[in-house]
Amino acid sequence: MQSSFDLQYIIELMPILLKYLGVTMEMALWGFLFALILALGLALVRVFKIAFIQHLASLYISFFRGTPLLVQLFLLYYGFPQFMPIFVGMDAFTAAIIGLSLHFSAYMAESIRAAILGIDKSQMEACLSIGMTRLQAMKRVILPQASRVATPSLMNYFIDMIKSTSLAFTLGVAEIMAKAQMEASSSFKFFESFLAVAVIYWVVVIFFTRIQHLLEYKLNKAY
Amino acid sequence: MKLFFKKALIAFVAASSLLTVPAFAQETVKVGMSGRYFPFTFSKQDKLQGFEVDVWNEIAKRSDYKVEFITASFSGLFGMLEAGHIDTISNQITITEARSAKYAFSTPYVIDGVQVTVRKGRDDIQGIEDLKGKKVAVNLGSNFEEVLRKYDTNNEINIVTYDTGIEQDVALGRADAFVMDRVSSVQLIKEAGLPLQLAGHPFEEIKNAMPFLNKPSQLAIRDQVNTALAAMRADGKLAEISDKWFGTDITQ
Repeated sequence: MQSSFDLQYIIELMPILLKYLGVTMEMALWGFLFALILALGLALVRVFKIAFIQHLASLYISFFRGTPLLVQLFLLYYGFPQFMPIFVGMDAFTAAIIGLSLHFSAYMAESIRAAILGIDKSQMEACLSIGMTRLQAMKRVILPQASRVATPSLMNYFIDMIKSTSLAFTLGVAEIMAKAQMEASSSFKFFESFLAVAVIYWVVVIFFTRIQHLLEYKLNKAY
Repeated sequence: MKLFFKKALIAFVAASSLLTVPAFAQETVKVGMSGRYFPFTFSKQDKLQGFEVDVWNEIAKRSDYKVEFITASFSGLFGMLEAGHIDTISNQITITEARSAKYAFSTPYVIDGVQVTVRKGRDDIQGIEDLKGKKVAVNLGSNFEEVLRKYDTNNEINIVTYDTGIEQDVALGRADAFVMDRVSSVQLIKEAGLPLQLAGHPFEEIKNAMPFLNKPSQLAIRDQVNTALAAMRADGKLAEISDKWFGTDITQ
């Protein structure tokens, strides 16, 4: 079957795909929010070397960095319900968000930890010497500086997360990649369909890259 | 920090509300399909359609159930069935021994198999027993040559392997017949627009049906589905749906 490139088809497909961009972005944004919260907790536990919990945190990070995201999603959505019936009620969309959060929090925790450790030890000592608690020092002095250092790598993970939402179709979430595949199956215009979806991801990532630059500009103002 | 914890708390509450189970009406059957198997299940202009969709909408009309279609990539469908995320799969699932041991199948609604196809008007060939001494085309890389050889113990069929274009050579009369699975043959005839016809019934039948978990609640659904399918078969609705998508009846 030979066919020529069909630009008209891409133009017609775009509005259909864009309708599902919301699902993709919702997964990425929720996933990133929860991942950030988890990652900050994990990083602090490891920086403060909290007895016992720090080993749990290390184990968590080791597991979620050491296994593929797809495997984790399958475990969560197909594996757990066989043992714990409560998971049967979890819909695919929720499972995807949880899977993305758990997976990316492991990477992001290491980024945040590195950023915190990058702030010179003397600053913490100075804070303690004037009577702040370690938590106060962290919040008032260390974290504001560390956040500036961590921003580029965290944005990196966010971008990666946007693209990783395309795995959610294996769980049955109808996002843009799913729609592109389904439309292609009847039109047989695979190249056009996947090109359209690639362009959408790309434009979205360019948009968030601009936001990253603005954020970095703001955070750097003090320097 | 307090503000941060408050925000975190709100976020987690929001997350847990996402976790709560939406309360479905009890009579909803969740049907899993790939949405990527034309013309059985596919999406066009953002509308899920195809043979499977029509069959299920008709089953819904004839039973107490409402149907909810859930599309997921094929590799995920059996996992979703196992995990209870869907009630059945409607994606031309072939009944095999291993699957029958594990799942309770509905009655077959599509019969596939090895099919002989000839040029329109050639009624002298009605099946594999009429292929002796004939030139029969098969596709390179398919296992139909092997299947034919199994039946052709005296080496009487002239089997020719083609890379492409078996349908053209049969339509032109260069080959007497080609052998392929029935569902693909039917689609090929419809799409190619060549003067071709199916010769007789498929042999080495393959039965496609919908698998359910072997649990009382799921078996109850299956029984209703079977009742609806039997009624659709009896009054010709099933054949009508098949005819709409394939131009012929592949349901028996």
